[in-house]
Amino acid sequence: MDLSKVKNNEKLELCSWYFRAGFFGLPIVWFVNAVWFFNEAFRKPVYEEQRAIKRYVIFSGIGALIWSIVIGTWVYIFQSYRVAFGEFGDSISFVIPTGVP
Amino acid sequence: MSHSDSDSVNEGTCLMDTLVNEASYSRRTDYTGNAQEQRDKRRPERPGEDGDTSRSSRRREPNPRSQEPDEEEELKYGAAHVIKLFVPVSLCLLVVVSTMNTVEFYKKKDLYLVYTPFHENSHDPGVKIWNALANAAILMGVIVLMTVILILLYKYRFYKTIHGWLILSSLILLSIFSYIYLLEVLRAYNIPFDYITLGIVMWNFGTMGLIVIHWKGPLHLQQAYLIFIAALMALIFIKYLPEWTTWVVLGVISIWDTFAVLTPKGPLRILVETAQERNEQIFPALIYSSTVIYSLMATPTAGEEDRGDNQGTVEPASPGTQAGFTSEWSEGIDSRVESRRRMIQAHSENRSAPSVSTEPPHVRIEDDEERGVKLGLGDFIFYSVLVGKASSYGDWNTTIACFVAILIGLSLTLLLLAIFKKALPALPISITFGLIFYFCTREIVQPFSDMLNTSQIFI
Repeated sequence: MDLSKVKNNEKLELCSWYFRAGFFGLPIVWFVNAVWFFNEAFRKPVYEEQRAIKRYVIFSGIGALIWSIVIGTWVYIFQSYRVAFGEFGDSISFVIPTGVP
Repeated sequence: MSHSDSDSVNEGTCLMDTLVNEASYSRRTDYTGNAQEQRDKRRPERPGEDGDTSRSSRRREPNPRSQEPDEEEELKYGAAHVIKLFVPVSLCLLVVVSTMNTVEFYKKKDLYLVYTPFHENSHDPGVKIWNALANAAILMGVIVLMTVILILLYKYRFYKTIHGWLILSSLILLSIFSYIYLLEVLRAYNIPFDYITLGIVMWNFGTMGLIVIHWKGPLHLQQAYLIFIAALMALIFIKYLPEWTTWVVLGVISIWDTFAVLTPKGPLRILVETAQERNEQIFPALIYSSTVIYSLMATPTAGEEDRGDNQGTVEPASPGTQAGFTSEWSEGIDSRVESRRRMIQAHSENRSAPSVSTEPPHVRIEDDEERGVKLGLGDFIFYSVLVGKASSYGDWNTTIACFVAILIGLSLTLLLLAIFKKALPALPISITFGLIFYFCTREIVQPFSDMLNTSQIFI
């Protein structure tokens, strides 16, 4: 859908819906929210709902950032220390790399 | 699995919607007509029949004049659309071809769909042909059945059922098949991966996809998801259909597409026409829309309400905004075309479900969805099946020949669209070209160039 055709109050609703949805462990929704509404929040001439949208966008962005740091750290740990984890490492592995024959 | 597969097989694609011109003419004539009426009112003399006749004659006049420039514009406009469609189609083909060439899983033949009970195990070409034909017939039967069911559901307004169906099928694709895809890609690249990250990734990916496809989301993200879904479906077909059956199915489906879209009683046509009557778009999720133009921006609020109220007059709402073509074109044509395609696809596929969802479709559709040329996801799928299958033999000449053939076919179809101004099937031309190019390249050009190579002749 195209935001330029949406009324301002609907934009706010949509933005806050996305923000709330993000709490269900959905950082990607926050990320999309932040990117999608970025122009609305920061580059459009001021309108009534803009402050609220701006808040949602900022918090969504922060949330997505925190999530990505957490996931990034975990992936780093997993990739570097998988072997050191021993059996536990194998048991949480979805794909275990095979050796080259 | 197999269910969703078969469902998704549908193809229908209507490239454009017609009536654009007609719509624009009628609008113009309305304006002139109104002016005439007012004049008539001012002049007391013979308001009755004469006024009518003069009005009608005026209406006719402006058309011939405006027609030529209109057509030119439409052709130009169409050219932009061709390019807009080239990108997604190429992306989809790229995903499929690169997956086919890196992930062994999709080349291996082990399991087959339930709909293809004959596995072509024999070495005798006669038996293989017979098997392939029988498989294709069964598969087509399923597709036709699904299409008819979808149309019936649509005709009698079981919107919730349709949406449930579409959401379910897109859910299956976004969860199970994406899971298998991820697993195979990771295996192919030998990358370790843990269940925790997997859970987070799948949950996020799937949920985001459902939101974007069936509800509201950024257009580009929706397009990306649709392309991915189409590619995934194509990979499934390539993997789970027996060798020769795939080729026969491609041929048969393009014939079916032609029939379903062009015959007066063709299911897809009925679907599109019903949608037009109701002034709805057909399950947006089933159709890729290149949304080039946003002519309606100017009238967001008013437009919404109006549209809801006057069904059948959708076009008039936006006509004033742009010189005529864009809005009319895009709106009328696209929505209709889309709807046709969607319908078509929707029947057989279950990909993506729709924005229409529970709410009254008109409002949503008209303003949310942007106008542009729409191509059914089914078309994406079968294009990709053709090129993916061609690339699975590891021959780049053939792959590129098929790719070019598909794009040529697509642009020819779009050209015809501009000429005929009605919804057209997108499969027949492309697939015919693709099949001809494939077999020519494989049987003639490739041996020829090999020969030249071995004997070191350079031309």
